[in-house]
Parts: sequence; C-alpha cells; structure tokens
Amino acid sequence: MSKALIIDDEHQMRRLLRMVLESRGYEVCEAAEGQLGLQEAAFHRPDVVLLDLGLPGLNGIEVLKRLREWSDVPVLILSVRDQETIKVEALENGADDYVTKPFGTAELLARLTVIQRRRFTRQSAEIVAGALKLDLLHHEASLDDAPLKLTPTEFALLKVLAEHAGRIVTQNQIIKQVWAGQTSDPSEGLRVHINHLRKKLGTTGPRIVNEPGIGYRLEEA
Amino acid sequence: MSAAQRTNVQPSPPPLSLAEVGQYSWGLTLVFVLASTCWVLLPYTGYLFAALVFLLAIVLAGTRWNRGPVLMMAVVSALVWNYFFIPPQFTLHIDKPQDMVMFSLFFIVALSMGHLITRLRAREAALAQHHQEREHLLELKHRAELLSESERLHRTLLDSVSHELKTPIAIIRTALDGLGLENPYAREIETANRRLQRIVESFLEMTRVESEALEPKPDWCEIGDVLHAATAPIQQELAAHALRMTCATELPLLKLDSRLLAQVLGNLLHNATRYAPAGSDIEIHAALVGDNLQLRVRDHGPGLPLGAEDQLFEKFYRTPDSPAGGTGLGLAIARGLMRAMKGDIEAHTHPTGGAEFVLHLPVKTRSAA
Repeated sequence: MSKALIIDDEHQMRRLLRMVLESRGYEVCEAAEGQLGLQEAAFHRPDVVLLDLGLPGLNGIEVLKRLREWSDVPVLILSVRDQETIKVEALENGADDYVTKPFGTAELLARLTVIQRRRFTRQSAEIVAGALKLDLLHHEASLDDAPLKLTPTEFALLKVLAEHAGRIVTQNQIIKQVWAGQTSDPSEGLRVHINHLRKKLGTTGPRIVNEPGIGYRLEEA
Repeated sequence: MSAAQRTNVQPSPPPLSLAEVGQYSWGLTLVFVLASTCWVLLPYTGYLFAALVFLLAIVLAGTRWNRGPVLMMAVVSALVWNYFFIPPQFTLHIDKPQDMVMFSLFFIVALSMGHLITRLRAREAALAQHHQEREHLLELKHRAELLSESERLHRTLLDSVSHELKTPIAIIRTALDGLGLENPYAREIETANRRLQRIVESFLEMTRVESEALEPKPDWCEIGDVLHAATAPIQQELAAHALRMTCATELPLLKLDSRLLAQVLGNLLHNATRYAPAGSDIEIHAALVGDNLQLRVRDHGPGLPLGAEDQLFEKFYRTPDSPAGGTGLGLAIARGLMRAMKGDIEAHTHPTGGAEFVLHLPVKTRSAA
C-alpha cells in the first residue's frame, strides 16, 4: 500500500483529499503547515507528497528545498492558476509535477500514478513510452517498431521527454540536458526541434504538449 | 534638470532682456547721482572719497544685478572719477604718478569686484538649483517607493483574495468528483460551479489588467500551442461547435507571451460558444501582416448590435439580447491583455453574418524550418 502525505493549510481540502486517496487504497497522513509537514515526511516516510504552494509560514518552495536535502520522494504540487513562475521554481527545485486548483480527481490520480512510477534508472539501455522506443546504446528510436530517423539533438530532446513521459519538464530542464554548455539562446532552437519531432511523431504517436510559461509534457497517445 | 536650464542663471547678453536694459539705465542713473553728490561734497571729503563711494555702489549692484550692467558701472564710474575728480579735473589726463596708480587700482578693483560678485551669485544660484534638483529627485524616489509598496500590497491582497475565492470552488469540484456526476442534481451543481469559477477568474483577471501588474513575458512559440492552451480549459463548451483553424501560410515561430494570448483567444472562443447556435462553426484564421500577427475569430451567430462595435470592450457592457449569465468582462479583459502586449483587438459583424474579432499583435518571427 502506498503512503501519501498531504501538506495543505486548508482543513477541508485535506479531509477531501484524504477521502479521495483512501478510496484508492492510499494510506494517508497530513500536515497543515510546512514545518510539521517536514516532520511528518521524516517520520512516516511517505511514497508520495502532495504539497500546496500557498502555505502560511514556511512556504511551499522552502518546504520542497528542505525535503530535497534528504529525500527524493515524488512530490506533486497543488497550486492555483497564474502562478507560472512559482510553479516553474517548484519544478526546478525538485517537484515532479503539478495540478492546478480546482483540479479533477481523475487528473490528480493520474499525475500521482505517473510520478510514483519508479524514476528512470539506467538499468536498461532502453526507454519505452507507449509505442515509442528509444535504444540508448545505439541511439536509435522507433515508433510502433518502425524506425524513426532523428538528428542527435532530436534524439537527446526526445530522450529527456520520454524519460519523464507523462510528466512536465520545464524549458530550462530540457535546455540544461540537451544544450548543456551552449551560450547562445537555445529557447528558439528548442521550439524548432520540438516542431520537427512533432512532425516525425505524426498524429498516431505520443504527443508533445506545451504548457505555456512552463514547459513540455510527452503524452502517450 | 538639463544643463540648458542651469546656464540660464548667467544670462547671455544678446538679446538683451527688458530687465537688463532696466539695470543698465539704473546703473547709469546711480553713477550720475553718486557723482553729483560727491561733486557737491568734494570740497569737504576729497576726491578719494568719491572712489570709495563708487566702489561701494559697484559691490552693492553686484549683489543684485547681472554681470553686464555691473561691469558697465565699473567702467563708467572709473571714467567719471578720472574726468571729474582726479586733478586736473575735466580731463582724462592724470598728473601725479600716485593718482595714476590709484586710478589703475580703482579700475582693476571695480572690474574684479563686479566680476567676482556676479560669479559668486551665479554659483549660489547653481547651488540652489542643485539643491532643488536633489529635493526633486528625493521626492521622486520616495514616490516610487510608495508606489512599489502599494503595488506589493495590492498583489498580496489579490493573491489572498484569489486563494480565498478559489479554495471553496476547488473543494466543491473535488467533492463533486467523489459524488459522481450520474445524479442530475450533481450535474447542475457542477455546471454552476464551473460558472462560478469563470466569474471569479474574470474578476481577478480584470483586477490584474487594471492594476497594470501584468508583465508580458514573450518567448518563442508556435501558434498551435497557443490554440491548444486556449481551448483546453473550455473543451466542454467547445464540444457543441466545430472549431476550424486556418493559416494564410505556414506560420514561423513567433515571439509572444503565449499564456496571455491564449487567454484572449479563450475568452473570444468562450464568447462565441455562448452566442452562436450549437452546431455552428467557429473559425480562426491566422496570418502575418508585416510585423503583426493577425488573428481573426469568427462565429456564425447573430453578429454584433449595430454601432456597439467599440462599446463591447467596455467593462460590464452586455448586448441587450445577450443570454443570461456572463459578467461582461471577457472582452474588456481581452482588450486589456492585448494592449498590455502592445497589440489591440477590434470587432465587427462579418459581411456574410456572424461576429468577427480581429487581433493585431506585433511579433518577432523566426522560420521554424
């Protein structure tokens, strides 16, 4: 059974989330405040954390940073709209994904499932995301077993997205991994290569979805 | 303040100002009066007294008048002193060597007095001006601090109001998901809750647009992504319509704030779903016109009331026959957002029917090939 920790200052929200999660077989613990949340995390060792960004006192970002000092537990951010910069900050400080309040239960549970999947480990030289396969050893990609012709940059880009399949990856995270060390502004190049990749993936393969102001998400068809 | 203003303290001679002409004539008059007085007193005081009186007058004049009149006084009084007072009188000739020295000294002292004093005054004036500028700058700084403080307060307030309003809506949404939407009453609550969410978001967005707390953050994007972001939140409403997007040519990458533009498009599309009959098409046409991205959003509804094409964008304006619900803010927000991005929006009834909204947005482009 998975253990979930809810850190949110709204009592009713916690109670509801507890009901939703318990009905899906999660064991739930909760905290109304950041400092308590960190203690709960240390004490209960949850498998996933739901963290509200608008916490009183120790704010969500701060909680996340402290949590990341000793734990790599998957973290889902709960936020309201129009906090793009703070969402990006959370994602770049180790949050795994976010949902925007008000969120649908289905969306919440789907995100939780995705971020709880074992984080990618280099035990195999192959990444599979739906119909998409990436062979890291030979730098080959295939879609529905048909080979995909990709340039090295496109391959690197698709690798980052596929490693995080179903999860949001911020623009900076992509750029850091694909264009590491380059000085010119790669945000333009990123768009160009995304464009090419989309064409090559066609309409049947996984879709690369843009979330304005935040980044990209590879969604399995 | 500019250097040009500062140099005004020392008036440049041509053209003569009226005040300066007055000073010249007052200077001459003063020299004449003093010379007459000293002339009368000459038997009792001696001619050196007259020199001191003239010097005093020059010093006093220097504290009030400009350089030109003061120097004029220095020259005239030197000549007058020489001509009328230094023996032999009524000639410019000087007999005694000590008188010659005296005259030269007088001349030099009078000139430098006039010069020094006017310079002193110029410096004083510059200092006063400098002081004034500093005061002005300090005041500006103070005002800017106050402004940013009030902006911060405003933002905090907006954030907390936003949080307070959205939390119950989020709770209702989650609770409804738990309840399931099989029950028709639950579906009604769900519809009302979505409407409430729209209203709250409209009010918050309007406040944000009006407070000018909006800072567009342009980045490279594809028009398709903008459209996707615009339609995602209103898919339920759009389900009853066929949405067609066409482009004049394949559009290059565009540098714009895709989040704000998506919101504008979302508002327009949502409007279209409210006014146009179910099943009708909604068309979006994108083109580059010069350095402007032009987007046309057209529905096949009843079109716009004649003469209201501009009023539409006013806050709380609602057309007389608009369906119930809606805040009358959607278009005001759309225009506010477009203008924040240095673009604009206008509306008209399409010649073949239906409302058409035209967006213009200056953009940088880059080929995506």
